[in-house]
Amino acid sequence: MIDSKHIPDPDDERLIEHFRQHASGEPPASLDAFILATARREAPTPTPSLWQRWLQACQRPRWQMAFATVAGVALMIGLVLRSTVPHDELSSPASMELSADRQAPAVAAAPPPAMPAPAPITRMAPQGELARAPASPMQSLVEKPAAKMSKSAPAAQPSLEQGLLEILRLREAGESKAADEKLLALHKRFPKEDLPARLEALQKR
Amino acid sequence: MPAALDPPSDESLLTRYRNGDKASFEVLYARHRLGLYRFLVSLSNKAELAEEVFQETWLSLIRSTTQPQGRASFRTWLFQIARNRLIDHWRKHGVHNPLHDSYDEQLHVQPDDTNSPEQQLSLSRDQARLDAALQALPEDQREVFLLRLHGDLELPQIAALTGAPLETVKSRLRYAQQKLHRLLAEEVPA
Repeated sequence: MIDSKHIPDPDDERLIEHFRQHASGEPPASLDAFILATARREAPTPTPSLWQRWLQACQRPRWQMAFATVAGVALMIGLVLRSTVPHDELSSPASMELSADRQAPAVAAAPPPAMPAPAPITRMAPQGELARAPASPMQSLVEKPAAKMSKSAPAAQPSLEQGLLEILRLREAGESKAADEKLLALHKRFPKEDLPARLEALQKR
Repeated sequence: MPAALDPPSDESLLTRYRNGDKASFEVLYARHRLGLYRFLVSLSNKAELAEEVFQETWLSLIRSTTQPQGRASFRTWLFQIARNRLIDHWRKHGVHNPLHDSYDEQLHVQPDDTNSPEQQLSLSRDQARLDAALQALPEDQREVFLLRLHGDLELPQIAALTGAPLETVKSRLRYAQQKLHRLLAEEVPA
């Protein structure tokens, strides 16, 4: 058992104190210098903090490569994800309608130069498409989603020329009623076109 | 609750040194160099041997990665290392270890009348007489007294360090002090 509470005798303490007061002798200065120099020389290297260790790791070429690779992959994934969003919107009819509806007021309010220029389209379009130049900004907006949709479903709406050829074919087949209905439908789609004149020109060709 | 300006403990200084803070060792060394050196000189009674053991003790502490174990304080640990080194030296050089002598304190007890009120005594301040009185003590009594004097260790710490029962340590210290009183007492002229 250890008696941790030792009460010293005052007289004994006086004896100890007397010896302490008269104690002499100390290690030589050379010994002090040698021990302190050894302690400084052999002191353990400070343990770097987590942040310092991370910085050191970043400075190593192997880790630099790894971080660069990860950053590159992350960038590529980000780009791919960003570029796929519009395609998704286009491929969905609902979103297409929504986007058309959303764009309509904004584009209508915008000045004409902000509209997609129709000229290059007409230049590149086949002859039969020339007549499809939008009569008004609103019409172009209505047609734009249809045109986009036609990319994904090309047979949905026949072109003007195809429609006219179909009418001629129906007339030759003696189905004049069907031909007239088709002409009426085409007229609704292309009200500004001189359909009889174009039919006549086609027939001559 | 310790005040903010309290000096750091020996144990925290050692930990800081182990973590690379070189200045902590200098503080630790400054605190204990004198006590340890004087303990070794008085115990071995040879300055050269004391210096050698003193150096080995500190180098051992510098190169070790261990810390004081359990409830042992740094001071107890330091003096234990030094004592073990000294005993190793005695063994290595075939010197009989005087600390292992069994000593019957009762045989050496002499009446101590220094505390009697009739006799006003003072203690000698002569350095040579002080040293001679210390050397006149039996080794195990001297060791306990020196650990108390230079190590400023409590009796339970001395008991743990020397591996002796606490009661034995107490009696050794008591007999040592009685003898020192007797050897150093000087009668005050009336």
